Amino acid sequence: MEEVFVPALGMAMDNAVLLEWLKNPGDPVAAGDVIAVIETDKTTLDLTAETGGVLGKHRYQPNDEVPVGNTISVVLAPGEVE
Amino acid sequence: MAYTDLQSLLREMLVIREFEETADKLTLRGKVPGGMHNSSGQEAVAVGVMSALAADDVIATTHRSHHHTLAKGFTPNEIMAELFTKATGVSKGRGASMHLGDFKRGHFGGNGIVGAGVGIAMGAAMGIHQRGDKNVSVGFVGDGGLNTGRTWESLNMAVIYKLPFILVVDNNQYAVETFVGRVTGGNDPAKRASGFGLPSFNIDGNDVLEVQKYTAEARERAVAGEGPTFINALTYRYNGHNVGERGQYRTQEEIADWREHKDPIDRFTAYLLSTGDMSQADLDSMKASVHAEIEAAVAFAESSPEPDLSTLTDGVDSGLLGAK
Repeated sequence: MEEVFVPALGMAMDNAVLLEWLKNPGDPVAAGDVIAVIETDKTTLDLTAETGGVLGKHRYQPNDEVPVGNTISVVLAPGEVE
Repeated sequence: MAYTDLQSLLREMLVIREFEETADKLTLRGKVPGGMHNSSGQEAVAVGVMSALAADDVIATTHRSHHHTLAKGFTPNEIMAELFTKATGVSKGRGASMHLGDFKRGHFGGNGIVGAGVGIAMGAAMGIHQRGDKNVSVGFVGDGGLNTGRTWESLNMAVIYKLPFILVVDNNQYAVETFVGRVTGGNDPAKRASGFGLPSFNIDGNDVLEVQKYTAEARERAVAGEGPTFINALTYRYNGHNVGERGQYRTQEEIADWREHKDPIDRFTAYLLSTGDMSQADLDSMKASVHAEIEAAVAFAESSPEPDLSTLTDGVDSGLLGAK
């Protein structure tokens, strides 16, 4: 199971805003696919999948503030459950 | 780290790579206050230099200092704990990634100022010279420091006083986002340095034995009273300047070329397997033990305490003037 999380991109970054989901729960996901877009104090960033599988639940909604390091969803390999 | 044989050089490079890749992920997760600079790809410079030094020789380094510090003999536990700013860290949790060091063990620190390690190490070389010790001091600088005044002022001082000093350019070719060839007049660091009147070399910084050889010869000259040496070690960093950087100043093809064809660990591994100095079984067990060592370092850092508030003013001065 791959966790999709908000990465710490700067020394003074505490959280980011989830702008948009590009994949829904249950959607098939390939490595490199953009799953969601977040906005930090400096930039917007695509969060991409590193592995392939099926997307799990959305743990945040658009416009939610997400603390750095927090997982927003997971990519499930075949047979895995959330 | 005691560099007792060729395998120990490889093992230390593996320790550095595993440490950096692990710490990189933890930094993205927000576990490392203040950020960090990953040295993956530059292992041979650190291990080549340190394996040619005596344990009580001195180094001073840069903002990118994990590889130098690990190779100098510091443990993954105390460095990882420092990244987490824990009380068990090498700088007691005060320094984080950029301020690793311990004067007593010949490590005069990392710092956040371009070229500052050169000046600090040159000062240490003055001290060694003054006392008549048979040691050497090594100042590390990145390629960005090639175009900073203090680097050349320090080198000039070392030449005129014949100090036991080695200036090592850990040249990963990018000063943050700026390619060294674009901003370095003459584009030949050793040629520039030789104008100051000292032995100066451009070497392959991804060949650990070449780095070791040039450092050992420089050390020999230094302790014989023949003065400093300039070594420009060409290498490459695989990751961004800092963890989390969105790098768009170089191509993925360029990075892949260095990783796949010029990697210092792959090259030395192939060499040791071909000469018979290491078997595949040796390599497998070495990798397993390195992996376990870094996992243990993360567990140590996670479980270590934060610095106690009562120690807040500890270490802010030397204590020589009577203040705590």
